[in-house]
Amino acid sequence: MANVFFSTWQGELIDNRNKTGDELQVSSFALPENYSEDKTSKAFIGWDGVALFDKDVDVVRLAMEYAAQYQIYSEACGRCAPGRWGGRILYDLLDKIARGEGSYDDIAHLKEVSDTMMSTSKCEIGKTVPKPILDLMEHFESNFNDLIDNQKASPHYKKKINYIAKVTAPCSDMCPSHVDIPAYIEGVRDMQFSESLIATRQTMPLAHTCGRVCPHPCEDACRRANLDSPVSIMELKRLGADYENDHCLPWQHPFEPKKPKNDGKKVAIIGAGPAGLSAAYYLALEGIQVDIYEELPVLGGEVAVGVPQYRMPIEKYNKDIELVTSMPTVNVITNTRINADKLKEIDSKYDATLLAFGTRLSKKVGAANEKMDMGGYWGAISMLDKVNLWHKYGIGSPASNELKDKIVVCVGGGFTSMDVVRCSIREGAKKVVMLYRRDEKTIIGNTTYEEYHEAVEEGVEFIFHSAIEEIFDDGEKITKLKVNQYELVPDPNGGRAQLVKREDGDFEMECDYLIPAVSQSADLQLLPQEWGLALTSWGTLLTNGKDYMTNRPGLFAAGDCEYGPMTIVNAVGQAKRAASVISRYIYDGKVSLTDDEIMEDHLKKLKVYNKKEKITGWMPGIPRIVSQKLSVDERKDNNREVNLGFSGEEALDEAQRCMRCYYISMVAV
Amino acid sequence: MSVQKIEKNFITITIDGKECIGKNGDTILKIARANGIYIPTMCYLTKVEPIASCRMCVVEVDGIEGMILSCQEKAVEGAVVTTNSKELHNQRQNIMKLYNVNHPLECGVCDKSGECDLQNKTLEFNVSNQNFSIKESHKKVENWGYVSYDPALCIMCEKCVRVSNEITGNEALSVSVGGYKSKIVNIKNSNCSSLGESAAVCPVGALVNSDFKYSSNAWELKQVPASCMHCSSACSLNYEVKNDKIYRVTNNYEFSSLCGLGRFGFDFENKNAKKDPVVFREAISAFKRAKSIRFSAVITNEEALILQKLKEKYKYNLVCDEAYGYQRFLNAYSSISGASLYSGDLSSIKDSDGIIVFGTRVNDDNPMVKYHITMASKRKRARVAYFHPIEDSNLSNVITQFVKYEAGSEEGVVALLASVLLNNHKISDDLKSFLDNLDIGNLSAESSVGEEELDYLVKSIDKKQKLTFIVGSDLYNHPRTVQIAKILGAIEKYSDFSLVIVPPATNALGVSLICSLDEKTEGYTIGYNAIGDFELSSLGYGDMDMPALNQQEGTLTNIDKRVVPTNAALSYQGYVLNDISNELGFEAKYTIDYTSMLPVKAGYKTEDFDNLPDFFDNSGIEHRGYPLTSESVKVVENFDEIEDLPTYDGAIIYHCNENTNISVFSNVTTAFKSNEFYLRGSPQFANIVKIKDGDDIKFNINGIKYQRVFKIDEGMKGTIAINPIFDMDLNKNQNISYRFNHLHREQ
Repeated sequence: MANVFFSTWQGELIDNRNKTGDELQVSSFALPENYSEDKTSKAFIGWDGVALFDKDVDVVRLAMEYAAQYQIYSEACGRCAPGRWGGRILYDLLDKIARGEGSYDDIAHLKEVSDTMMSTSKCEIGKTVPKPILDLMEHFESNFNDLIDNQKASPHYKKKINYIAKVTAPCSDMCPSHVDIPAYIEGVRDMQFSESLIATRQTMPLAHTCGRVCPHPCEDACRRANLDSPVSIMELKRLGADYENDHCLPWQHPFEPKKPKNDGKKVAIIGAGPAGLSAAYYLALEGIQVDIYEELPVLGGEVAVGVPQYRMPIEKYNKDIELVTSMPTVNVITNTRINADKLKEIDSKYDATLLAFGTRLSKKVGAANEKMDMGGYWGAISMLDKVNLWHKYGIGSPASNELKDKIVVCVGGGFTSMDVVRCSIREGAKKVVMLYRRDEKTIIGNTTYEEYHEAVEEGVEFIFHSAIEEIFDDGEKITKLKVNQYELVPDPNGGRAQLVKREDGDFEMECDYLIPAVSQSADLQLLPQEWGLALTSWGTLLTNGKDYMTNRPGLFAAGDCEYGPMTIVNAVGQAKRAASVISRYIYDGKVSLTDDEIMEDHLKKLKVYNKKEKITGWMPGIPRIVSQKLSVDERKDNNREVNLGFSGEEALDEAQRCMRCYYISMVAV
Repeated sequence: MSVQKIEKNFITITIDGKECIGKNGDTILKIARANGIYIPTMCYLTKVEPIASCRMCVVEVDGIEGMILSCQEKAVEGAVVTTNSKELHNQRQNIMKLYNVNHPLECGVCDKSGECDLQNKTLEFNVSNQNFSIKESHKKVENWGYVSYDPALCIMCEKCVRVSNEITGNEALSVSVGGYKSKIVNIKNSNCSSLGESAAVCPVGALVNSDFKYSSNAWELKQVPASCMHCSSACSLNYEVKNDKIYRVTNNYEFSSLCGLGRFGFDFENKNAKKDPVVFREAISAFKRAKSIRFSAVITNEEALILQKLKEKYKYNLVCDEAYGYQRFLNAYSSISGASLYSGDLSSIKDSDGIIVFGTRVNDDNPMVKYHITMASKRKRARVAYFHPIEDSNLSNVITQFVKYEAGSEEGVVALLASVLLNNHKISDDLKSFLDNLDIGNLSAESSVGEEELDYLVKSIDKKQKLTFIVGSDLYNHPRTVQIAKILGAIEKYSDFSLVIVPPATNALGVSLICSLDEKTEGYTIGYNAIGDFELSSLGYGDMDMPALNQQEGTLTNIDKRVVPTNAALSYQGYVLNDISNELGFEAKYTIDYTSMLPVKAGYKTEDFDNLPDFFDNSGIEHRGYPLTSESVKVVENFDEIEDLPTYDGAIIYHCNENTNISVFSNVTTAFKSNEFYLRGSPQFANIVKIKDGDDIKFNINGIKYQRVFKIDEGMKGTIAINPIFDMDLNKNQNISYRFNHLHREQ
């Protein structure tokens, strides 16, 4: 909801020009009526319409400035004939009218060139930029005519007005790291793989990793889904990273890293997982000194010791890690567990500290007789640590010592539990069972279709609608479990269906190892009590979710320890933002966002993706390409990477499906 | 297999009422063109992936709202497509208007005039008035050596960038985006002649050949279709001629490519030849007393056949240094594979997703092979393992694994490769026992090819669909050449690899198939573009003139095992080989009378020269001459024990011409003539030889004395220096010796 003076946003025409009091309508969209806490917006103009918040807006100049943004911002501009020339003509003609030299022919030509741009442009920018301009020309015709008739300049033609624009895309908006997805796909399409990687690394240093194990929320906001099925966005990310690696290229940074500042300013980062590494990278690109403290002997956090080799080969993740550690201002201190005293010391020595220690405590399943020190009771995080440290680094001993020929029961339903059961298969367990409270559809929703099906193929037995009531042991180790079953009972009144225990559904099952993978929580031992840090109700550090500073000045938090157990891409996005805020904070002591970040947040609120939009100008029915996987027999007894990725042809075909849905939006402040 | 691949292979769509069949995955435009239906484009270039910048190719599809970009959108079964309507025409006309905004009206002096897509389409779409205008800014013309770029004329179609990235692989050109200010930039400041490939595809006069600029109107030039004579790819090209002078080389760039040498190295003709009856009589008497004929493989099939017939009649020793080793290699290969011809070709390289290159400095030895590897690398994400003693920085953007082996150890390397590539394949008992008896550890240590490198290779090509093994000139005169050829024959026969045995000179394959060659000359020797007691020369150097390959018609047998025709672009006033053979008892009106007599047993057809086709069809399929038939050959599977691998320690000289100056013929062209005789080596080489950049160095290899200026190449590593030999007196000895030699300095 937003108060507007006039709006055509997403086809909703609101015209309060001659209305008062009760007649005034409000927009149903979360339009950015207030640019920031201390600034209101005068107008918002974008791909799907225009909204005026203030009646004193110079609409002709607004249209002209929007056309100008097309020239400045558009990544595609200059890359198709209608866009390259058309965009420039839009601007020239609007400027001509705005400065008082326009004619009615110019109006006609504006409409004509808009038509060609909208029906033939290469990307959505070209197709959508004319839309709000035409809206203004239609609804404010008299303003245009007035300037033409009287050959006078538009009212604010020379006034200093701040126009702030941003290019986005539905996928980029949905991506927590706001990766410039159309650009990296275009890089693949053009076979300019370095360009593709550079586009990714602008906001996402872990290109190998998030080209493999990202749950790709972007694909839920892919406009191609409105036409047939979403582009396989995630897998196309690997191409650039693999290209750099395969051809031994020097690191492809998004821009030439700045020289080390060596000005005495330094930042501490607690935890070398995705969040810590990402923050370090973006601070280091600015030449800022960073020390990363890591508890484990190895870098990479949960992706290294949690995500199994067959899903995320460590050689590839190590490339992402090396990208960060290769930066001259990044210094890594491993094998160092931070406690409250140590954190106090760090806090006093560094100009800012970023907490990025994740959530590494496995939660209990909540059954009767659940004893964490009972033999056979093995938290998912510590089980995966053991598996991965052995397979990836040769540290410790193989988990097959414990799991071979045993019955393993995992309680979960998310990615971690999938890793537990699939690793158990690989460690030679006799039988592997996943107990899950809800149904198949939900588990696929929580993880991915591929992940679930691959686990089934490998022999994992899924028991849905089930939960452990009681654990039995012989005093030394777990022997069996009592399991309750539930059913989903629809609400006769049309409400949400309820899980109801089935009276006849209880059963007992033998069990050697019970591995709870329900969820994880943050280990908060390192937070000094006396700091009184604000926490969320689920036991993570509280920030405003925009600048990621905790309630203690100079202490920031990002990733799972802030959000709770979530995705890699979420951690990266938060860390990138935190790094940006820190890079300013350590110099001016202020917590600030850039215009680009403010716009990013506005657009996220407004929602860029419109599920109901009808797509035109594209051929539907071109299938999404599925990459080649190792067969079950090839993969289930080893750690070879299951997903072989796209072949060259497949990648080009898939990249060709991307519709380049770039949009420009602009706020007049 | 992805879901897409197991779907049926063909689809049917209707275009403008005509039912058209296409391959599943084909674009609408591709199907339309294959079916002879015209859709206008400005940026479409068949040989690269769709660019989609011009938007002219939009079509309408029944039931689908909006305009569909036919060059990029794949056809879907049953689609009903309309390629022309009033609305489509309007949009296309508007795009042409946009293209014409501020396009300089300098057609009168523009090199592209008369063959300009912008001119043509402006007319086609009846752009008689202009509704649009833009404030223009000054744009500077840039000179990039062989080509020059005028951004004011550029329509930003991006074809040149695609070619640079996707085909030549020089990766020099890039789009500098920035709205109306966008332009093409030469990001590597390259002045490489391969930029000519990018200029060739420019639809307007923006990127043009510097040497052709302001020299002729396009429409005054006569096109003579021919085959490039510089290397064994024998690419299709047109010599464009006016007043008995070649002005430029063009090609059917829509479907095929040329390297810089092919495009700019065209004036190698024998200029002042005349018929001198006295010299002719001398020639005839020389042939009558001669015991041997030595000739260069830069020769047509017909001439090679004439020489073979002369040999049969007069019992000459027939010597072709460039082809002898190759013929021996091919025969040894056949004795294992059972086929007279290797299985791969350029197109199989292009379609491969796994490639091994072994025993050739491929970028220099055959630029077209490099182009095809580049296409495979870019489009198929091919794994490219490059096995060679010298790293080649020109290949770094396409290779995924460089394996350095010791010069001289090729037999060991190929044995190691066989042992890993044939693992898990069903092989003969003889081969199995040969492989089982290999001392892998020792071979690996002696050749420096690590077992982990081989493991990595095998892993990286696992699951690849199409594999090609490329071998070249380092092997044909190797002391163990026969054994190497046999092992390669076994790899091709028993593994999934296709093999390409790159012919070392223009028609080395043809000569190998047509002539029975002798190793050495004896007695009085006729030299044909080679050293002899009486020399026939296409360069005008010898006792009697012969026509150069741009002055005669005939056929060549190229790397694709295809017999391709070439025609005379320039007049020639002297005698030809056929005149001599007619005098010596044969009878043929023209040299090309021999085309139909080429040996059927070697895979040739009894086809007349004038019946040979020379075109690409609408689907891009080459109809040029005909492909040879591979004949079956008796298999004798035996392998020698591996000999102790030789050691080449210290400073080594490697004979290798650079790709723009491949032979004595390229070295007479205006564009590539070089008087700079240099030896190129790494700082490390300089160090051990105790020599500085710019120093003179003299050395002796196989009795030939060289004097060179030493150039340090910071991009090189190791102790092997590169010695181009295009300047040597017809390359005599080097063509029969192994390419790596110890450096023996002379003071």
